[in-house]
Amino acid sequence: MDFERYVDAQCELLGLALTPEQRPGVVRYLQLVAGFAPRVMDFALTPADESGNTFVPVEPKP
Amino acid sequence: MSHPAAESAAAQVEAALARIAATDGRVNAFTAVLADRARARAAAVDADARALPLRGLPFAVKNLFDLQGLATLAGSRIERDAAPAARDAVLVRRLEAAGAVCVGALNMDEYAYGFTTENSHHGPTRNPHDTARISGGSSGGSAAAVAAGQVPLTLGSDTNGSIRVPASLCGVFGLKPSFGRLPRTGSYPFVASLDHLGPFAHDVATLAAAYDALQGPDAEDPAQVPRPPEPTQPQLARGTEGLRIGVLGGWFQAMALPAAREAVARVAAALGATQTVLWPEVDRARTAAFIITNAEGAALHLADLRRRADDFDPLTRDRFLAGALLPAAWVQQSQRVRHWFARQVAAQFAEVDVLIAPATPCTAPAIGTEWLEIAGQKMPARASMGLLTQPVSAIGLPVATVPLWGCDAAAPHLPIGVQLIAAPWREDLCLRVAHALESAGVVKAPVAAA
Repeated sequence: MDFERYVDAQCELLGLALTPEQRPGVVRYLQLVAGFAPRVMDFALTPADESGNTFVPVEPKP
Repeated sequence: MSHPAAESAAAQVEAALARIAATDGRVNAFTAVLADRARARAAAVDADARALPLRGLPFAVKNLFDLQGLATLAGSRIERDAAPAARDAVLVRRLEAAGAVCVGALNMDEYAYGFTTENSHHGPTRNPHDTARISGGSSGGSAAAVAAGQVPLTLGSDTNGSIRVPASLCGVFGLKPSFGRLPRTGSYPFVASLDHLGPFAHDVATLAAAYDALQGPDAEDPAQVPRPPEPTQPQLARGTEGLRIGVLGGWFQAMALPAAREAVARVAAALGATQTVLWPEVDRARTAAFIITNAEGAALHLADLRRRADDFDPLTRDRFLAGALLPAAWVQQSQRVRHWFARQVAAQFAEVDVLIAPATPCTAPAIGTEWLEIAGQKMPARASMGLLTQPVSAIGLPVATVPLWGCDAAAPHLPIGVQLIAAPWREDLCLRVAHALESAGVVKAPVAAA
């Protein structure tokens, strides 16, 4: 994965103009999050696990 | 309480202002001290003959709460340009309606994105028990102000641990209520789908009294769950008899260093808790909260990230910029994982009423610490302060954090906190157990030496 290319393309899409000072830290942090992402993306869930837009804590059954 | 109702509001406020003046030079908890406002409010309280549950009690709030006439900074430089707040936040109004008196605003990590309160714009808030160390964050000013004896009560926010982490590191009591319990109207958001507000206090009675005063519906917060107030004070002294209390194992032991494990062991022994409870997939839940936070927090600030990214704190800027770039699928899947996790944990509460877990992996590190070794891995120190709180707030459970002392053999002068976790809407159980531990002398929040 070429993270620098991804960062540049996404920034262009979003209108973010990174300075040379900002870019390395942004790339580094994106790589960090990308390293975590499989922990959620690899978890098998079903359509029944959709959360909805509003989260309400789940009460235990009595 | 050390601020008895028999003492006038004016006297309590003057004592707080004097203490702030004497100690804040070394602690740096306050970003604004509102002496004129506080004195006027104290005079009004003293002229009011009604019974007021928090009569004259001085308090202060994390500077993401609106205070009329002040720009709501949320720890930033950018918001210094914002218009002054037109009125106080709902929770500030509620505490003052109960007789408490707001004396100022408190330091925090920029936009609440941190666990250390090493704020580059205002300077770090220092731990009152050892000023070379962090106070924790993001509500670091809120915890430090109580620990320094400046005020007995403060308000903070907790998205991933920002009440529980500083409460642990500064040695004070904190309550993160259930997600959706308290209205957030008039507070600066961080991650709307995870943000909670709650109190810190120097004892459990004050914590419960404040929490009871804070409850109640507010139609302006769409995330507040419509429930009637459920006062906790009538149950506070009931003790723990009949409660099923367990210790969270797995992740919550693996990510704890010896001081945190010692604190949990002491609380478990005091409560006679021998059952170990394992939550499934805690690492995935923590990751889900991490991704939701990064993406949602960044989206909130996208306009400023485009216009003036260099005005952000160097400790948050690159994280916010990166968060704006995350694929939507990661964020949506994280919300689904969170929902799945909440269901699993809810089922486990059929067998247990209160769970014990460490609040932080260790006692307060030195300011500027970059790395810690936890579970045999070199881990970033700042993010790791939330390893043990993030999975709990991800599913909105209520938690009281209670402080213990002498658990860290290398630094016996430092406190460390333990989380008392209950099922949603059972703040009463968290506070009952906290009160029992305090009554038994297991936990306490002494004022730091000046």
